[in-house]
Amino acid sequence: MKYIKVAATVAAIALAATACGGDDKDDKGSAGAKDPAQLKVWMMGEGTPEQTKFLDTVEADFKTKHPNTDVQIKYVPWPQVATTFQKAAAGGEGPDVTELGNTDVQSHIEQGNLAEISDEFGGWADGKTLNKTALENDQANSKTYAVPWYGGVRAVWYRTDWFQELNIQQPKTWAELSAAAKKIQDSKKVPGIGVPSDQTNALLSFIWGNNGEVATKDNDAWKGQLDQPAAVEAVTFYAGLVNKDKVAPEKYIGKNELEGPQRDFALGKLGMYFDGSWSLKEMKKISAKNEAKWGVFPIPSKAGGNAPVMAGGSDLAVWKDSKAKGAAFDYITVLNNAKNAKAWADYSGFSSMRSDVSFSDPKLQIFTQIATNTKFPPISAGWGEFEQAKKVLPNAVKAIMQGKPADAEMKKANEQANTLLNP
Amino acid sequence: MLDTAPAVGKAPGRRSSGRARSRRRPRFGPYLLIAPTAIVIAVLMFWPMIQIGTMSFQKVGNRQLRGEPAEQVGTENFDKILNDPFFWQTLRHTVLFAVVAVALTMVVGTLVGLLLNKLGKKMSSFVAGGVMVAWATPPVTAAIIFSWLFGSTGGVVNWFLDLLPNFLVGGGWDDYNWFATPLSTYTVLTVCVVWQACPFVAVSVLAGLKSVPGELYEAARVDGSGPWRTFWSLTYPMLKPIFLVLVVMSIIWDFKVFTQLFIMSGLANRDAFNLSLYAYSEAFGSMNPKLGMGSAIALVLTIILLIVTALYVRVMVRQGEMK
Repeated sequence: MKYIKVAATVAAIALAATACGGDDKDDKGSAGAKDPAQLKVWMMGEGTPEQTKFLDTVEADFKTKHPNTDVQIKYVPWPQVATTFQKAAAGGEGPDVTELGNTDVQSHIEQGNLAEISDEFGGWADGKTLNKTALENDQANSKTYAVPWYGGVRAVWYRTDWFQELNIQQPKTWAELSAAAKKIQDSKKVPGIGVPSDQTNALLSFIWGNNGEVATKDNDAWKGQLDQPAAVEAVTFYAGLVNKDKVAPEKYIGKNELEGPQRDFALGKLGMYFDGSWSLKEMKKISAKNEAKWGVFPIPSKAGGNAPVMAGGSDLAVWKDSKAKGAAFDYITVLNNAKNAKAWADYSGFSSMRSDVSFSDPKLQIFTQIATNTKFPPISAGWGEFEQAKKVLPNAVKAIMQGKPADAEMKKANEQANTLLNP
Repeated sequence: MLDTAPAVGKAPGRRSSGRARSRRRPRFGPYLLIAPTAIVIAVLMFWPMIQIGTMSFQKVGNRQLRGEPAEQVGTENFDKILNDPFFWQTLRHTVLFAVVAVALTMVVGTLVGLLLNKLGKKMSSFVAGGVMVAWATPPVTAAIIFSWLFGSTGGVVNWFLDLLPNFLVGGGWDDYNWFATPLSTYTVLTVCVVWQACPFVAVSVLAGLKSVPGELYEAARVDGSGPWRTFWSLTYPMLKPIFLVLVVMSIIWDFKVFTQLFIMSGLANRDAFNLSLYAYSEAFGSMNPKLGMGSAIALVLTIILLIVTALYVRVMVRQGEMK
């Protein structure tokens, strides 16, 4: 019993020490200036030593303007994002500045989680360099609630050495993509292409690349377009890579690109797969052996040419309950100034949403070109439920891959779109 | 199992004396002693349960979490759930899984318990230690380990099945996707849950076995009873109260399995949902929480559990009375 008591005490002390680690710095500034004693910043993702180092330099820059403010970073892993924000809304223990997944921004605005920053944004000169489409997603009723930070687009990762050896040209149409996968599969004895069912971002490029849509706005209401021939044909082709052309393995059904394809491609056990620029640093961690042979080409459309890609990414916002909105917005302007945006893009592999910042790594430069042709999924507060909670498209694709008729499944998905996108 | 073990060999004389004393004057002491626990349980369990009850008749989203009053919707949440074929599918998964998992847990756990009782001292501690590791593993860790074991690249199970001759298990195991269909997903889930749950059963059964007087087994052996007969005519009746508790607890645990399934197949595989995962996806799945719907599903799950448990306990207790 004694041992348990000692262990419990030690654990409690350790917990307390780590939890308060940032708190016991000096609070002496709070009395003098208007600066808040601390600014709570939430970053999404697990956080890495490199990211912390980058944010330390941002804090140093920020302190030239607000010397008495202590910046506290908290990392929120992506799978816990929804519940963490729910707790923040319910308990009032929210951040001052937060990163947000761009598909969540509309939900946050709708729920009143974000402070309006139209005036501050208007007075920020750099605001004009930000991507216009991405900015639209941060506005509602012509008021601004967030600013775009970084974005990511998907493309097809492939093996340059295999393409050369088998004399494959860069696929420009769907048919060529399937044929290229078949060639690799036949001679390299690895699956030609990874087509997971839970990868809406890639699927959307096929729907859009066939001039289809998820939903269109009709008199202020979203009207689903998933049962239209263009969308059905796109999904049939995507799923058909698994069950008709048989150039994609069944082992990725029910999974996303991180639960297999990325690892298998990095290990040289897969011909091609869909992912973004940021995956380069993840793949290097898995196996850097073939790094020099990895290449990227844009997702083709059905008839030829690049398909539009979904602009995933993150935005920055000031939390509604923040007591230091001015300092919070200042932090955003420092984090997203030209110097820091460049440093972040080079570390993270995500494209900056500033038009004046691009990648330093030549391998990733093609992503800057791909990112000129982006599209957004329906800008609706209901997209979160459609895509995250119900995962309507991933489940429809899964059913079709397993042999259910595409027409019926897409009709069901479309009914879901009609209800969920109009919350 | 401290609370049930004495029930097996209780001394009949003590209870009557206790009852006689309590009739003389009311005793507040015991209530005072139990009060702190009761208060903590009330705050941490009963209050949330009442909240779930009220929320299941309301529409609760993030705006309500921020303090806006919730809208009363009557039985709308329940109407929606009960008329949705998807709910019945998740319910079927939940019940079928519970039946299979509870049965397997009891059988495997009891067998391990009997084995532990038979083994010598050193071997017994060795096996008990190994079994305890499974019990001590947090569900999240276990789920991740099992999804790796059954994974498609580098998964030990697929590798092993592929090594076995084809006439035994068939070919093509190398890339087999265990989490593509509900049946195979639940196979892995069952293995994982039973693996973690059987140590508790084993240890409880072992504790019960230790309290059975050795003379009874000797007598049985002298009378020529085999192991099968000995178990059903001697061990099982003696340990019946323990089995009752174990089955009820297993039913409760296996009905509300969430963590393992959430990690193994997640939200992208709705065809493999059970009730808990369904409730989670409604309540916490996205930035548009529907806590009212989630509460309603949780309430239905709780009521089913209460009914099943009550029926089972009643049947068991009645059987006990008749004997």
